[in-house]
Parts: sequence; C-alpha cells; structure tokens
Amino acid sequence: MTSITAEGPRLATAKASRHRGWWRRNWVSLAFIAPGIIWLLAIVVYPTIATIRFSLYDESATKFVGLHNYASVFSTDSILTAFKNNIIWVLVFPFFVTFIGLMVAVLTERIRWATAFKAIIVMPIVFSTTASALVWRTIFDLDPHVGVVNAIEQTVSDWFSTPGAYPLNSAIGQTAASLAAFNATGGTAGTVVSKSAVQPGGTVMMGLTRISSATLQTLGAQTPVAPQIMAGGIAGLVWNDFSPSQTSNTTTIVSDEHGLPNLRLSLVNSTGSSVASTVTNSSGDFSFSHVAPGSYHVEILASNFQTSFVGTFWLGPQSITPTSGLNQTAQSLLSVPLIDLAMIISYIWIWAGFAMVLIGAGLAALNREVLEAAEIDGATEWQTLRRVTIPMLAPVLTVVFVTMVINVLKVFDIILNMAPGSSQGPATTLALSIYNDGFTGGIHSGIASAIAVILFILVVPAMLWNLKKIKGGNS
Amino acid sequence: MKEITTTKRGVMNKNLLGRVKASRKALIAAMALTTIASMSIIVSNGPASAASKKIRGSVSIWAEWTSTEQQDFKAVLQPFEDSTGITVHYTGKGSNMDTALDAAVAGGSPPAVALVPDPGTLDTLAAKHAIKPLASILGTETKNFGTAWSTLATYKKKLYGVWFKAANKNTVYYNPAVFKAAGITSTPTSWSQLLTDETTIANGGTYAPVSLCTDIGWPVADLFQNLFLKLNGAAAYNQLATHTMKWSSPDVTSTFAEMAQLVGAGGANLLGGMKGALADGSWPACTTSVFPASGSPTAAMVFEADFLTSNVPSNYSPGNGSSCTLSATASPCYDTFNFPAPSGSAFAGDIQGSGDVAMLLTSTPQSKALIKYLASPGAADIWANLGGFASANNKVPLSSYPDTVAKADAKALTSAKAFVFSLDDLQVGWEPQLWADMLNVLQNPAASNVTTVEALMDQQATTALGH
Repeated sequence: MTSITAEGPRLATAKASRHRGWWRRNWVSLAFIAPGIIWLLAIVVYPTIATIRFSLYDESATKFVGLHNYASVFSTDSILTAFKNNIIWVLVFPFFVTFIGLMVAVLTERIRWATAFKAIIVMPIVFSTTASALVWRTIFDLDPHVGVVNAIEQTVSDWFSTPGAYPLNSAIGQTAASLAAFNATGGTAGTVVSKSAVQPGGTVMMGLTRISSATLQTLGAQTPVAPQIMAGGIAGLVWNDFSPSQTSNTTTIVSDEHGLPNLRLSLVNSTGSSVASTVTNSSGDFSFSHVAPGSYHVEILASNFQTSFVGTFWLGPQSITPTSGLNQTAQSLLSVPLIDLAMIISYIWIWAGFAMVLIGAGLAALNREVLEAAEIDGATEWQTLRRVTIPMLAPVLTVVFVTMVINVLKVFDIILNMAPGSSQGPATTLALSIYNDGFTGGIHSGIASAIAVILFILVVPAMLWNLKKIKGGNS
Repeated sequence: MKEITTTKRGVMNKNLLGRVKASRKALIAAMALTTIASMSIIVSNGPASAASKKIRGSVSIWAEWTSTEQQDFKAVLQPFEDSTGITVHYTGKGSNMDTALDAAVAGGSPPAVALVPDPGTLDTLAAKHAIKPLASILGTETKNFGTAWSTLATYKKKLYGVWFKAANKNTVYYNPAVFKAAGITSTPTSWSQLLTDETTIANGGTYAPVSLCTDIGWPVADLFQNLFLKLNGAAAYNQLATHTMKWSSPDVTSTFAEMAQLVGAGGANLLGGMKGALADGSWPACTTSVFPASGSPTAAMVFEADFLTSNVPSNYSPGNGSSCTLSATASPCYDTFNFPAPSGSAFAGDIQGSGDVAMLLTSTPQSKALIKYLASPGAADIWANLGGFASANNKVPLSSYPDTVAKADAKALTSAKAFVFSLDDLQVGWEPQLWADMLNVLQNPAASNVTTVEALMDQQATTALGH
C-alpha cells in the first residue's frame, strides 16, 4: 500500500523505460496485494464514497440537494434524541467499563482460581449481543414474576407494606372508591363506607365490584346470604355485586354472586369514631352485637385494599429528570432515560471481561520492582494502586477507554433487542437511527447516509488516536 | 381431460404440504374446474378446439409474497399455467416490492405484471405511463369490484389496477368466552356500546377490557385511524392523509378525546394499565393475553387488522359458539367484530385497510391473459379456500372462505361503502415520527399536551410532505 502511493507521483513523470522497470520489479508483490486492494476498494472505499454521495442526494438518489439532509438531521427530534443518547452512552459507559475492568483485573491477581474466575467474567463476550440483550430484557421485566430486579424490589417493598386481602391494582390507578357499587362510597384515606346510616336492630348491605375471581377463589368466597335482623345489634353483608348472568342488576343479590370474606370492618358512630370492629365471614356476612343506640355507618378499612407492588418500569420511556431551578429545555437535555441506565448496566456486563483481559495483560507486564519498592516504602494497597499501578497502566487504560468510546458510538444491537417497542424511540442511538431510517418503513437513504457520515466523523478521531497509540506501543 | 389430471396433481401437492383440510379437497377441485372453464373463455375469445386454446410462451410477475403466501399464490397460478400453456415466472420481492419495482421500471426491464401493496405506486406509475389501462382488457371482469375498489385503482378516470388481495384493519378481535364470563352476550355495534362493555368487563374484575398493542406506535396509529374514520368519514380521512386537513383540526382533537375514553383514565381499561401496555404491547406479544397458547386469558379484546388471525394459536377455533371455553387447552375460540361507529353514523360502512393491486407493465397476449385471470373470481377463490386471504372481488362466494371469521372479514371488505388506505403508510418521510406522536398522546391525553403534539405533527407533516 505504502509503496504504491509513494511511487505514484514519480511514476507520472518517469520515463517509459523506468516505468517498465518498476513494473518488472514489483509485479509479484502487486499480484499478491491486488486481491486485498480490490477487496478493500469494493467493500470499504466504494461504500464510503457512495454513502457520502447518497447523503447529498434526495430519497430517490437522483436529485442533488446539497446539505439539506444534514439540516434535516439536526432538526428532527428523533435524531436529536439519538444524539443525546449517544452522548449519555459515551459519558457513562467507557468510564465504568474501564473502572470495573481495572478493579476485576487487580483483584483477580490476588485470588486462587483466578483463571476460572476470569473465564467467567470474559464469557459474556462470547455470547451474541442479541442473546445477552434478551436475557437482560427479562431481568429488567416489569412483572416481578418474570424480572428478577423487580422481584427483589417487590420483596423489599412487601416488608414495609403488606398487600391487603383485596389489593387495588395500582397499575391501572385503581382506588378504593372505584370499587364501591351498592350502598357504598369512598371514605377518607382509602376506606369505603356505607352510604345509608343504620341503627341497632337494622341491617346493612354493601356491594363492591372489580374483585377478580382469582381473589374470590383464594379467599374461599361463598354464596352471599341476606343479613337477618339481630336485636340490639347490627348485621350486614358485603358482597361482590357483579353477576355475569345479570350485569345490570346492582341492587339485589343474584345467585352467581359471591360474598367477600376476610374484610376488616369497623362500626363508626355519628361523630366519626370507631366503636367496634369485626371481620367478614366466608359468605361476606358480619355482625356487631350489643350496639348502643345511635346512628352508625359501616367502614371497610383501607388496609383491606393495600395495593400490590407494581414493578419499576426499567425499560420504559420515562426519564430521571432534574426538576429544581431549570427551564424546560435544560431539563429535557439533562434528563436520562431509565432504559439507558438499564442497557448500560447490561452492556458493562458484556464488555467488562474484555476490559479486564486487556488491563490484566498490562498488569502482567508491569515492572515488579517499582511495585515492590512501593511496598517496601510502606505504601498501602490503595496507595500503590492509585499512585503506582494506575499511572503505569495509563497507556493501556486509555486504549481500553478509547476502544470503548468507539464501541458505544456505534451501539446498536442491544437497543434493538432490549428495548420494548414503545421505548425504541426514547432509547434510540445514531446507529439505530441509520437502520430505522435507511432500512425499515419508508426508505430514507439520504438522511440515513447523512447520519452515517456524521457518525463516521465522530468515530474517526478516536480511531486515529487509538491507531497511533497502538503503533507507538509497538515501537 | 388432461387439464383435470394436472389440476388434481396441484391439489395433491397442496395436500402434501398439509395446508388443505381433507374436507376442502373436493371443493378446491371443483373451484379449479370452474376456473379452467372460465379460462377457456378468456384465452380463446370464442369457441375453438381444446388444442388451439393454448397460448404458450411465458410471462413474469412480481409481488411481495414470500414463503407460505408465495406457495399459495403459486397454487393460484397453477390452473392458469395448465390451461393456457403459459409459463409464469413468479418472483416474491418481500417488503422491498415498491423499491424493486421502481428500480426495474427506471432500468427499463420491469416484469410484465406486478402487484404492489399501495395505491400511491399505481398513481406514480400511471403518471409515468409505465402501466397500461385495463378497461378494454378486463371487459366484464371489471364488474367484479365495488366502486370503492375501482376508485382506488383509477388514475385520471382510467382503470389501471386489479385489487387482488385485500386486508381489513377494521377488525376488533375478542375472546368470546371472556365476553360471556363478563356477562356480555352480543358484540358491540356502536361506539358507546363498546365503552359500556368495557366498563362491564372492568366491573367483573377478572379481565382487563383491552390488551392494547403499542409497539413503536403503529398499532396505536391504526386504532386512531379506525376511530377517526368512523367519527369523520372517508372524505375527511383522505384530507388528513394528504395533510389538506391539519392535525390541529377539531376533528383530530375530538378523535384523540374519544381514544382517551377507550383507554380510560391513566390506562384504566388496559391490561397492566399504561405501563403494562407499553411494556408488553410489542406486536404480536400483545395478542397473547387475549389468546394465550396455554392457561387462561387475562384480557377480552385486542384491536388490530385481520392479519391478527395468523397470530392466534392453532388450538383456537373461529367463531362464537356455545362450546367456547376460557381454557386455552379445552376448546377456546376467537372471533371478530367490526370497529363500531357512533350510533346512527353515516360512516359505519367505511373501512380502513390495505391490499395488493395488480398492474400491467408490458402488454403481451400472455400478460393480458394473466391479469384478466387475476381479476376473475376463480383465481381469488383458490386462495380464499386456502385461508389467510381476503378478496375485494365481490363475485367470490362467501362460502369459499374456510371459516366464519374469514367470511365476515371478506363480507366487510366487498361491501365496504368507502375504502381508505392505512393513513400512516401514506406519510412518506415522517411515518415513524407520527407513530411516536401517537404514543405521546396515548400516554398524556391532557388537552394541553394534545395541542402541543398536534402542532408538532403539523410541523413534521409540512417538513416531510412540503405543504
């Protein structure tokens, strides 16, 4: 390659005889590198030039539009989101992956079975990113029965608030008041109270709806029985006022309805204080005996409806947004989508092994005398690491860091496979935008090529720097 | 006699593929015979001896269908090849069809006949005089298609296309056993009834009314389009599709408001609420909670086009019989109803969907015979029998379709008062942005946000469409 370019200008002015001489001398080497050159021209040089050309043409690739596509790139919201996500990736990922790689490399030097341990850490590189992404998608799943992260959160959450017998579905924003159907209404602080007042010797019937058949089955709910009058006491019934056979009947008990067992109730007097409490039986019936004269309401306690845990939507479109003292533009610029963090964690899992191997190789090549000198001078482990190991490892660390910067500038497959459809937009990156604009739906080769050129320009400096560094290391 | 044996061989092949039920065998053979009978009229233009009917030669045809659909389409072509002696070279281009055809036309070597999945390409090619008018070639076969379909294949008052395959996006899929468990005995026929039924299902407490498909937003766009069409009609729909109606118009705003009612406050009517719909709404995962492969369903309805049928597990039987059960392993069922319009609406018969239109690019005796064959009921009949197909051809008897769901689908398509194409697919240049905007409104239907998003959509549409 170098010989051709170096000879190029000379060739043009050379005499014919010298020309022939050059060919004679070099034809063998030329014949050997020709396939490589042709291959490079066909799959690297030509596509690069074609991409740059496409980026200056309209969608049909027939009309020259100048820099119009580039203007579109910087005025399209979805592509600006991609830029923002790329920046987040570049800022967060290379640092953490290098740091974790370093820590693991240093620590594994000191343990037995280090090779086995290293092998396990390296293993994720062997897996296809698609497979890893699908695994992590499951780990972060919203449903605590599927995703282990939410399962842990649920366990912790349940220590602090135990779900009631009739947990409200907070995923759909259910409130206790929305359950009230017959002679019932939402009370204070998530309770349900009977609408009509009752005196001793009277009966109360309260109907609720939106109780799932699974809950009824778990609690062993029986057919509801109308309450019998009880002298000096108050008898009543709380039942699931929903019958598939008579959906419009919301005033009387129908045979295929169920009583609501295990409900904690309290009897509230006219001043609002609780005078007695009880729990409903399997048919939903209850009674308060020996009630003093007066007017009462029956209250279904809020603890019955304590909500069940709803997972954190790690892979959702929402962001962690700084709220105080910033205008809207600054807020949207500084907000970090939760899914970016989830994906970065997964990607670190994939690449930490690679960082560890490179850094480990660097560690092995370190001058032991310097380390020993530090030890003799009484430096602690931490001091040795900070003041000796890391400075000496700096060339390796920067190569790893820059390699990871290049790696995440073109991050693609983990997003495509880990983000649910609704989060594909908020989680998109430049590489994914190229794919979406260029190859799916309506084909926008112009815009996709423009993004590709921009991405290329972003990657090139890091790449050149890395090449120089690696070459420098060899000499 | 020769024709009959070859046809039988064709049927045998399909049997080997295991896609034709035994009970349909005889019917297909009969259909193929009918087709051959009509073929003789097409190709000979008069009574002639059997031997001289053969045109022979060959013809090329392109369409988007690959794999199973490709096999089915080849089964459609088989009787044509047998009776005319013409060899048909079929190429399935996949989702690439429009681009490939565009390139082939520009390169000067297009196929003789091509089927494209959108009317926009037909208009473009007709404007370039790259396709031939069909009225004189098709003759009486033009009467097989309703006005809605002929209009879609017409450019400057000339007919250029045959809508061979059609898809209906007007369908709502539901699990009949869940409806029964919630006490709903008949499917909703009006918009308000649909909302009432949602409340009834929610009151039952066991099932979520709707499993909403969200994906990257296209199913939400489909839902919006159904609703917009039923509320405002095909004329307004087409204005919005071409952006001669603004997204900030009151018609759009009111459609978003109705959509919010369907979804319920904070996604109260959706399985898993809004979070659940966003997390699990990827296509086709969103269909599994209504039609699970094992266990019990958790939601009652799912909104999508008739292609959803292919995502229903095979143990589900079509229809709303009394034997339908809630268990995916006992005898579960699936059924559809038409997306309801407000009661008394003039737009109840307007349908949204998509289809494949056949066009003639080079005029030869072979290609003319082929396109006339595609316009005949016999050709559509063969695929109708195989399933996974609906025809816009109103001469195809409903009895040809394999089950009640497919029959209802075909009936809705052929009797459509007006047929409009999926609006998002016409938004060249900003379709993904439109989908993202739909997801945005879905999550935050507050009036102020709707106003903001509508302004953004107008801006995006103007940038992309140039007006």
